[in-house]
Amino acid sequence: MEPQRQNSGYHGNQQSLRLRQASSPASNQNYPHFNWNSGPTEEDEVDGSETQRDLRALGLPLGLRRAVWQVQQMKIPVVSSSDSWKLKRAKTLRTIRTRGREVLSFLTLWKKTLQKIGGNFGGGVKSYFLFLRFLVVLNFFSFLLIGGFVLIPSIVLTSLDAQLVNNTEFWWQPELEECLEYDPNPQGLVRFYDYLLDLLSGTGFMESSVLFYGYYNVKQGSYNLPLAYLLTAVFYFAFCLICIIVRMGTAARVAVATGGGAVGNYSSIVFTGWDYGCLGDRATKLKQNNIRYQLKVDLEEERLKQQAAALTTTQRLLLYSLRVSMFFLALGFIAAALYGVAVATENSQGRSGDEGILGLIFEYLPSIAITAGNFVVPLLCDQIASVEKYPPTITIILALLRAVVLRLAGLIVLLSTLWSQITCHGHTTSGECQPCHYDHKNYPCWETRIGQEMYKLTLFDLLINLATLVLAEFPRRLLVDHWSNKLTQWVGRQEFVVPANVLGLVYGQTVVWTGALFCPLLPLINTVKFIVLFYCKKLTLFQNCRPAMKTFRSTTSNFFFLLVLVLGLSIATMVMIYSVAEIHPSMACGPFRFFPNIWSIVPNSLYSLSDVTQEFLFFIGSQAFSIPLFTLSCVVMCYIIALASVYGKSVALLRAQLKAVRRWTLQHQLVWFSKITCRLYEFFGGSLVHRRAKTSSFWSNSTRSCDNSFKSQNTAEDPERIIRNRLYYLKHEELEGLHLPSKAGFTKDVVVPDLTPEISVFRKLNIINLPKL
Amino acid sequence: MGTTASQLDKDLLSEYQELTFLTKQEILLAHKRFSELLSKDERNFENTRVSMERILTLPELKSNPFRERICHVFSTSDQKNGSLTFEDFLDLLSAFSDSATLEIKSHYAFRIFDFDDDGTLDCGDLEKLVNCLTGETDDTRLTTDEMRQLINNILEESDIDKDGTVNLSEFQHVISRSPDFVSSFKIVL
Repeated sequence: MEPQRQNSGYHGNQQSLRLRQASSPASNQNYPHFNWNSGPTEEDEVDGSETQRDLRALGLPLGLRRAVWQVQQMKIPVVSSSDSWKLKRAKTLRTIRTRGREVLSFLTLWKKTLQKIGGNFGGGVKSYFLFLRFLVVLNFFSFLLIGGFVLIPSIVLTSLDAQLVNNTEFWWQPELEECLEYDPNPQGLVRFYDYLLDLLSGTGFMESSVLFYGYYNVKQGSYNLPLAYLLTAVFYFAFCLICIIVRMGTAARVAVATGGGAVGNYSSIVFTGWDYGCLGDRATKLKQNNIRYQLKVDLEEERLKQQAAALTTTQRLLLYSLRVSMFFLALGFIAAALYGVAVATENSQGRSGDEGILGLIFEYLPSIAITAGNFVVPLLCDQIASVEKYPPTITIILALLRAVVLRLAGLIVLLSTLWSQITCHGHTTSGECQPCHYDHKNYPCWETRIGQEMYKLTLFDLLINLATLVLAEFPRRLLVDHWSNKLTQWVGRQEFVVPANVLGLVYGQTVVWTGALFCPLLPLINTVKFIVLFYCKKLTLFQNCRPAMKTFRSTTSNFFFLLVLVLGLSIATMVMIYSVAEIHPSMACGPFRFFPNIWSIVPNSLYSLSDVTQEFLFFIGSQAFSIPLFTLSCVVMCYIIALASVYGKSVALLRAQLKAVRRWTLQHQLVWFSKITCRLYEFFGGSLVHRRAKTSSFWSNSTRSCDNSFKSQNTAEDPERIIRNRLYYLKHEELEGLHLPSKAGFTKDVVVPDLTPEISVFRKLNIINLPKL
Repeated sequence: MGTTASQLDKDLLSEYQELTFLTKQEILLAHKRFSELLSKDERNFENTRVSMERILTLPELKSNPFRERICHVFSTSDQKNGSLTFEDFLDLLSAFSDSATLEIKSHYAFRIFDFDDDGTLDCGDLEKLVNCLTGETDDTRLTTDEMRQLINNILEESDIDKDGTVNLSEFQHVISRSPDFVSSFKIVL
């Protein structure tokens, strides 16, 4: 695109392939030429935005662009009425789009703050805050969804004092009487600090509030609350999934287009490494330190790699066996942490009835175990990583993977321990679970209990973050700043570690997703929690932290963060599916108390629909529909995979062709230049000023054949004709000796070139001083 | 054509919107910041040219290691002293704006890095570029060996036609493989 415009200033419409690259090194002027003759084409007229974009994309100063624009305005060709209507439509769409973008930028949350963070700490830290902002917005809109369909109708129905429905005729048995015993309200005299304890653990007055599942009941009325409750939860998951995938789409497109970005490391650091948004001397020095550090590390790594390639076999064997043993050691650490979580959960359920602070500690025991594991195990894994001696990039990825596995596995272990206790380790028809299919003595309303656990995890996460801020980070900074000795210098200021913080966010969000079915207000609590976290992290960033020496690549890591978030969502989905389909709902509380499982509300409601709709829905659910659908989606997927591989191959082919064309073109050019110059030298006796004498072999070859072919020539003939003939002659004969790569795809059937462009190019290249022909 | 008094008239504003990548708010803010650089009597003249030293007092440019090159590239003055009119200033902000395309950014990045203005990046340009990136003082420069190794690596990766210099197309090829360039090549007032 741009090179073509450069050439059009030199010679009219002839888009000679070989001159495409010649002009760019030759240009002494700084501006590309604009072709005044070519007006906007028919296509440009219809889509006016093309012209505008082309105009703004010219590398000319504003004054010249204005002149071009005025020329374009004057040349309004006669357009038909339909075309002018299309023009007007394109223009209105453009103004609407710009207006919309302005409104959106006005509404964007925390824009200035993020800009300041990016300028002072770089793109990696900014990506963490962008991710946090995305989660805040996601949680807020989820809360609106849940609030609109579940919360408000429930409150309205309660205030209207509708009658409780009690349809238990179908399956009622007298033994099930004891399953209905459930009274969360505190009895007797309540001490003052009990309110605080209840707030922190979700029991007491909190348990019978709108926060938890137990509050919602089936009321009489036209609004089918159970169905709404379940479907809202399903739509909530689907909504979150769509938002994340849309956001991943942009990141994925960039990652695919740049092909992983590992190639061309030094060039990209040097050419694209500078962040022009850096504000202030301090940020600039830090960025310069960053870049210098990165370059030195990469150069050092290259030297080390060359050394490592020279390892002997025994050394390599030793290294690999060391790596395998370290892998198992890391696995062992993670397994130990998970076992600790399982033990803590079991003990917590048994002793949570204790009074006072001890009871509170036992309530929070699972959270404490998970947090402790998440703190200790990564430290141990860091030590392991220093033994393993992987290259730095692999070390970072491995550390992230280990941390992710630990966090999410901790959550899974907690949930499965809870469940095995609720369903009496899977035997729902024996022991404690005898009449009610769940452990009704310890868990009269088990959904609320799970909701409480998730609530406690969320709250504890926030409290730990605040505590770390107050008790660890601020004192550290005060110590380092005001008491300088060797120890504090070695410890240094806090560094804002992006991956660990992002994993904390993903963990918090996964907890919310898992608990959303049982604690509908959890997204709202999470929104508030993340907003508080944003301001706290911003405070600690600016007050306590120094920027990291090692930069974090923001674009590829964005994709990775979203991938981990999707993993968390899938875990939460599995949890939801299991609770919806497998476990018997509590009979003592909740909107699903009269159903054998939560999912059965859907078939029940279906029966109340009209016959036609029922037939249609049954058909969609049946095999006659799903198997053809499955086959069709397989076919579509195969087609898309084939398309993607074709595109990939053509990209690779174009790249190779680009390389080959440039090499071929330059060789060809140099040959022609050298041959023509020596002939023109013979003719006109002008002075030769070599711009570059890089390919001396070509030059010496050409001067030799120069003398040979001139011997048989009659110099009295028209010089131009002779030169033309020479070129034609050269083209077919001398080209044989050049050994051009056959993969270049260029045969010897090239168009006979017009001579005038060569001479004009030579003049511009200052290769020869020629009088005008 | 230029700024009159302290207000931009509407026609000029919409013309600037057409010709640059800036939004209306950005153009007005640029006008305000540019007027602050002018002295009282200069504000009444049209098309005043502000010297490079005064432009470089802007906080967004003050500590940028490429500040002088940026002024030289966008300057349209005949003396080549890096002074900018308001329209040059708008050109600068347009190229560094949010909505500017990759092509225009890479075009101007190339010109900024081309220290000797010869249309290609040769070894001298690359060495000056790396020194700007790492810091100008003696203890922040790379050693001679490291510099040589680095420049060799850069030329090996990006010099496709093996002529020892990086031209615009090769530069754009490297830029297109980097996803962070568009977001980092940004100056917002």
